[in-house]
Amino acid sequence: MNTDPIAISLDLINRHYQEPNRNRYESRYFWEELYTLIAAAGFPAIEIPYEPVWQFGGRSGVPFNRYCVNTKYGDAATYRARLAASGIDRVAGITFDPNLFMRNANLDFFFGATGHFAGEALAHAADMGADYLAISPSAYYGRIAQYHPDLEAKRDLFTERTVALLVGLAAKAEDLGVTLVLRNEYWSLFGGERILALAEALPASVKLDLDSANLFIAGLSATEFLHQHAGRIGCVHLTDTAFVDTADVWKAPNPEFPPDRATQVFRDPGQGEIDFAQLVAALDQAGYTGPVTCSARQTRDPFRALLRTRAVLDRLAN
Amino acid sequence: MPNIRYANMCHWKSIPYRQIPNFREFYYEDKTNSAYYSDWDSILKYQSALGFDGIEIAPWDLADILPLFGSPENFSAFARDRGVEVIGMFHGAHASHAADHFDEAVRSGREAVDTIVRFGGTYMNTCPTQNYFGTGPLTRDEVQNCAKVMNEIGRYATDHGVKIGLHNEFFCAINLPNHRELIESTDPALVHYCIDTAQVSILGEDLLTFYDDYHDRISTFHLKDTASSKQPDSVRYAQDPEIADDGHRWFWEPGLGELDLKGLYRLLKKHEFKGWMSIEYDGSPDLLASMALTRYHLDHELRPIYD
Repeated sequence: MNTDPIAISLDLINRHYQEPNRNRYESRYFWEELYTLIAAAGFPAIEIPYEPVWQFGGRSGVPFNRYCVNTKYGDAATYRARLAASGIDRVAGITFDPNLFMRNANLDFFFGATGHFAGEALAHAADMGADYLAISPSAYYGRIAQYHPDLEAKRDLFTERTVALLVGLAAKAEDLGVTLVLRNEYWSLFGGERILALAEALPASVKLDLDSANLFIAGLSATEFLHQHAGRIGCVHLTDTAFVDTADVWKAPNPEFPPDRATQVFRDPGQGEIDFAQLVAALDQAGYTGPVTCSARQTRDPFRALLRTRAVLDRLAN
Repeated sequence: MPNIRYANMCHWKSIPYRQIPNFREFYYEDKTNSAYYSDWDSILKYQSALGFDGIEIAPWDLADILPLFGSPENFSAFARDRGVEVIGMFHGAHASHAADHFDEAVRSGREAVDTIVRFGGTYMNTCPTQNYFGTGPLTRDEVQNCAKVMNEIGRYATDHGVKIGLHNEFFCAINLPNHRELIESTDPALVHYCIDTAQVSILGEDLLTFYDDYHDRISTFHLKDTASSKQPDSVRYAQDPEIADDGHRWFWEPGLGELDLKGLYRLLKKHEFKGWMSIEYDGSPDLLASMALTRYHLDHELRPIYD
């Protein structure tokens, strides 16, 4: 695999949880320096999480939605020019998850807000020239269950409404030339192999994300998943973990922070149990030529994570 | 019992754990200080150790606190066990200037009061309507609409043992030209005022004059320093000015800015203020260090004047 075009996700910046110096993450200057450091670490492309939360409360320094980009740069083209001047040639993809909107029992609110902002994310992906919008098809299972204790009885209802939402997005994505991809998080209502039934109900234009850490936590082999669904993989996330879910943490309200035993679920690439050499070889063997993005979600140190990730890719290249 | 008790306005971002029983193991995973900022047990112990007996939470904390603790009551009990009480919650009265938003603004305010009561709090510091950019300048009628909403929420709050305190940000639609007009349009028996010492100074009020003028309306304080008093309209009315593009900080720990906080304490003594004072550290890169610096300044510079 030619690792040169591999992107890095901006989810390596821990903008939601407390840590010293976190305040920097809300100012424009931080990101503009970060782009140059990402380029210096050898990444020519980035993935951007689309987060509506920064639209509210005056936090538009975080460039994670259309409002913020327009507020700080005027338009997407000017933002992309800034990226290019910093050594970032492409926005490879945009991600979107609807957890923000699972805040009460009102499903009309959840699906209405999710549909609206996912549509915004899709249009933003097109404006950014991104290859894909990778969408999480549900909120955290455990967060949904808080407001819908009868979630299992409502599974069909959730599935129907999710399918309707995604079918609409898929049509819009085709018009915009962006690939709509289903994320496959271990904590999802549609996690693990459950994603397959959802994908079956959607147009063939909707692809699957192959995310190595999420599949590992769900108890699935990434290479097996690749062999079984090679024709439908829309993007690949090289993510790492050593987490084994022996206590149904995937059903917890905040599943990335196992409540009974604190641990870093997602490790910096190279620090967990994922065999990236094996996975990349399998991708080559399958003839996969689509987008590949590294993620150091939950890193304790984004700048160390950048270089740790580069070290992993350098070893693969050799 | 001192006249002033000290709290912290909660500016911790999401805290993912209640308590970390495997702290050493968690630390060793990546050997960074993240472990020290990941559970409420530690955060509340820091507060308690530094003499901050109260915490004022924010509505955006609820999405994390409630799943973690199950209920407001559980969180308050957990905090109390560590020597900290929940004194109240901040509230934003979005669009209260809009006549057609009256019912929604009052409903939302009442819900927030109900939440505070469940936490055992007694203060609801309330920002009247949203940012100036995109909304201001407000007409006289719109200011009166804000006042009507505040009076109505204030009536409900008072009936439930909660004091609402107007809390103005320097970038709000209620701004220097109508700040005092709003205060004077509200019912003093129902609507109080929380002086955010830095915000009102950046807004253009003279802190000492403002407190002297309104001392009988003051329910509580957000104490913080600034080196940026009296900002011009071009800054206060700009789009999203709270977080500066270049990292400029509007707010500093008491003693690190330029406000006459000793003068304020002399006035507190003159007017015999009794109640809670929340310290705010928004914009700080290290909330724990800010808390410790503040405690030193309080004990050595301010509390000797009035305690």
